[in-house]
Amino acid sequence: MEFAVSVKNLSKRYGDFLALDNVDLEVEAGELFALLGPNGAGKTTLMRILTTQLEPSSGTAFVLGKNVVSQGAQVRGLVSYVPQEMSVWTDISAYENLLIYSKIYGMPASERNKAIGDALELMELTEVANHLVGTFSGGMIRKLELACAIMIRPGILFLDEPTIGLDPVTRRTVWEKLRALNRESGMNVFFSTHYMDEADVYSDKIGIINKGRLVTVASSSELKHSVGDDRVEIETDSLLGPQAVSDLRALDGISGVETEGNTLRVLAKDSGLSLNAIMGVLRADRINVRKVTASKPTIDDAFLKYAGTKDMEGTRGRLAELKSVRKRIVRG
Amino acid sequence: MRDSIRIILSMIELEVRRVMHDQTEIVLRAVQPLLWLVVFGKVLSSLHSIPTGNIPYTDYIMPGVLVQSTTTIAIFFGLIIIWERESGILKKLVASPAPKFAIVIGRSMAAGTRALFQAVFIIPFAMLIGVTVLLNPVYLLAAAIVVFIASSGFAALSILIASILKSRERFMGLGQVIILPMFFGSNALYPIESMPPLLQSLAHINPMTYIVDACRGLLITGNISGLGTDVLVILIFDAMIFALATWNFKRIIE
Repeated sequence: MEFAVSVKNLSKRYGDFLALDNVDLEVEAGELFALLGPNGAGKTTLMRILTTQLEPSSGTAFVLGKNVVSQGAQVRGLVSYVPQEMSVWTDISAYENLLIYSKIYGMPASERNKAIGDALELMELTEVANHLVGTFSGGMIRKLELACAIMIRPGILFLDEPTIGLDPVTRRTVWEKLRALNRESGMNVFFSTHYMDEADVYSDKIGIINKGRLVTVASSSELKHSVGDDRVEIETDSLLGPQAVSDLRALDGISGVETEGNTLRVLAKDSGLSLNAIMGVLRADRINVRKVTASKPTIDDAFLKYAGTKDMEGTRGRLAELKSVRKRIVRG
Repeated sequence: MRDSIRIILSMIELEVRRVMHDQTEIVLRAVQPLLWLVVFGKVLSSLHSIPTGNIPYTDYIMPGVLVQSTTTIAIFFGLIIIWERESGILKKLVASPAPKFAIVIGRSMAAGTRALFQAVFIIPFAMLIGVTVLLNPVYLLAAAIVVFIASSGFAALSILIASILKSRERFMGLGQVIILPMFFGSNALYPIESMPPLLQSLAHINPMTYIVDACRGLLITGNISGLGTDVLVILIFDAMIFALATWNFKRIIE
């Protein structure tokens, strides 16, 4: 099967600064792919190369089987791109934005009305279709941008930080719509984000990128498992005897046991499956359990492991800056 | 080719829709040319110091004032391009199937369209204050085409400048620095023959001279003997600027 995105030894250099450093990446067709990394990691640069806006310094990149450098025009016919900044005209209505985009993309007049209507409907903008975009909230503008991008039925949708600055409810709606589209029509979605939870919940595969290097590509559960086992923490009324500890260690699927006063920590492959056996050992030893907490490794832990930092540095400053740019743009 | 024409037409439609929603710019930008006609024109014509043949001075400068204001609109279209750069619109257009020259010519002709609205505003006002405009429909249409084509060329120049300067602050100053010297160094306010020799030769390579000459022939004097040369010069100017702006366009989003 053809890859949605296939990148080999891709580097991009701005003067002395290496924005992308030998990136290799293959994204299978039909997947929702998340590029996760802090600001300045190279996410936007990679997306702009894949959408033919920038040329790589070295290496090759294919989108849906087409070379982004030598077959740029064909790639542009297949992709839809929503930049991080605002990409709609604010001094005309939502409907007019969709109309102009549909004409620029050469949609036949016979399909236009239905496509625009469907896109407005999908993004819940039908009621405000004839309002000036300048009066819209940030969330509505983002939905309109997505409506423009989806309307033309692209082979692959590139979204650069699609939910930055959106409220949690809108974020969820947007993701549910995008996932439904991906599942129903098989539209490839390639997005960048620095929200770990978004990558965790909504993507099929996550690529972690940091300082221009793509450190790993895996599904969210693979990433979490690669960090380590589940942790079960048990507070007891009395101290555990050495026999109980060795009984615990002998259980299937247990990789570590340690005690600290009345607190017992167990590392298990799957905390749910092992819990009953652990409790059995404790009961046999007549130990009263006061409290049990089980925790699974999070995508944050995985990010920490692969990117070597948990610091989404500058995220807050960037967000404030983006918000002020957006405000200025809306005011015109 | 058909795709490119479609894209250019879409961008003209976008501009018409924009103007329909908000005419503030057209109205505000009309104030300056109206001052030229009402104040400068009236005062100078009472002095009879500039030889304009048998044409009243206000009538003589009307085409020049019209061209100055429409090309100013076109030059400041670069600000819209810079806005579209700061927002993500240009990135999105560059990633769309639209060829770069179609984006550049489309955005330029959108500005030409905006300039045309300005002309439609100024001509009736000029008549209202007593300027005698030739009401030949063919001439009026031809003048509209000249204004449109010429303003589109100036808009492409502003796109080229925007792709070099990239910030609105730097751009603001430059707009006036381009239009005013071209305006004063042309036949807009006085016949070329009344200029010092050096300025005369500069006026002959100034595209504004040819635009004004064409408009003056079509709107006021009815003498269109130079129209062929005028249009040819304007078309060469447009072709050169369209090519340069297209060539440099990708730099604007880098």
